[in-house]
Amino acid sequence: MEGRLTKLALKGDQRAFAELVELYKDKIYHLAYRMLNNRHEAEDIVQETFLRVYRNLDRYDDKQKFSTWIYRIGTNLCIDRLRKRKPTYSLDAEMNDQEGIDGYSMIPSDNVTPETELLLSETQRVIYEAIDSLPVKYRSVMILRYLQDLSLQEISDVLGMPVTTIKTRVHRGREFLRKKLGPKM
Amino acid sequence: MECKLAVSLMHDYLDDDLPELQQRELKEHLLSCPDCRAKFKELEQTDMLMFSLMHQNAVASDDLVSRIMDSLPKPKKERAFITWIKRHPALTAASVFLLVMLMSSVTFWNQDQQLVVRGSDLDQVVIQGDTVIVPSGKTITGNLTVENGKTQVYGEVNGNVTVIDGTLYKASTAHISGQVKSIDQAVSWLWYKVTNMFSEVAYR
Ligand SMILES: [Zn+2]
Repeated sequence: MEGRLTKLALKGDQRAFAELVELYKDKIYHLAYRMLNNRHEAEDIVQETFLRVYRNLDRYDDKQKFSTWIYRIGTNLCIDRLRKRKPTYSLDAEMNDQEGIDGYSMIPSDNVTPETELLLSETQRVIYEAIDSLPVKYRSVMILRYLQDLSLQEISDVLGMPVTTIKTRVHRGREFLRKKLGPKM
Repeated sequence: MECKLAVSLMHDYLDDDLPELQQRELKEHLLSCPDCRAKFKELEQTDMLMFSLMHQNAVASDDLVSRIMDSLPKPKKERAFITWIKRHPALTAASVFLLVMLMSSVTFWNQDQQLVVRGSDLDQVVIQGDTVIVPSGKTITGNLTVENGKTQVYGEVNGNVTVIDGTLYKASTAHISGQVKSIDQAVSWLWYKVTNMFSEVAYR
């Protein structure tokens, strides 16, 4: 379906492109929000990602999955942005995050009672804190693996790294999170 | 099995990447080693918690889509026609030409509210604001077309008078030798364009 939409978009069909935006905006936003921990920056990344997709539609090779392609663009933009950040900035970002997790940015998918909701949001907070404390190179892998549910092979395609490297990073990332979450589980 | 190897296999297992034979070996070790069993439970829970996050959707601002669409570089107007034609290669050149003409007529009709006066003998007419006057005693040789304006004829027109989206006043002194047409709607305007185009083509 994405292949068809990209072809239409390339021919100037704005509605086809809008459909692609609808399909992927939340996924890219989720990815960027977890990577950067900042709502505004995440929206910037989403916008920039789609702009790049639009500009490079003619270079999209439909032998590869569209999702792989757009995740690569989005992830690279996030990594670039993290690199450009001054060390002090991440402290601000962590402060910003407190407000973010407290609820209104997250919508639970199931109907839950207020009590479980509280518990859920508390668990979420702990997990997100743990993810945010991961070094960047592990963070991108773990977010792609879990938040986007990509296979190891797909992550390797997105990041342009061998599967063995991805595997090692997932293992180390999971160990890291286990240690962070361990006492709370 | 050493505990170190067992841990590595646990990760492979969670990655859905452990062959069945080794799964059985891992299971045997877990049954005999409480430390690894505890560790496996923690890793499995970490895994489940992480996956559960997938179903918590971060929600972007409502206007994000429109902001994205607005930020895209706008394709030029002509390009729309070109892409349209490319998408319908079966159309003959003539019908495409006709279609493009029709389409440009529609935009013309929608957008252009300006007074347009066309004719072969225009120095005889007087234009006051949006009113086009053929004064009494004057003679226009040829057709006169007025768009988006009031037309008042007191003199003589040796040709057709066409009024598009406007009014026509014919004084008792007026004399028009050709046809008088008043066109008010987009549809008839299109029809006018089309018939005009054909007659133009026919006369060439
Ligand atoms: Zn053991």
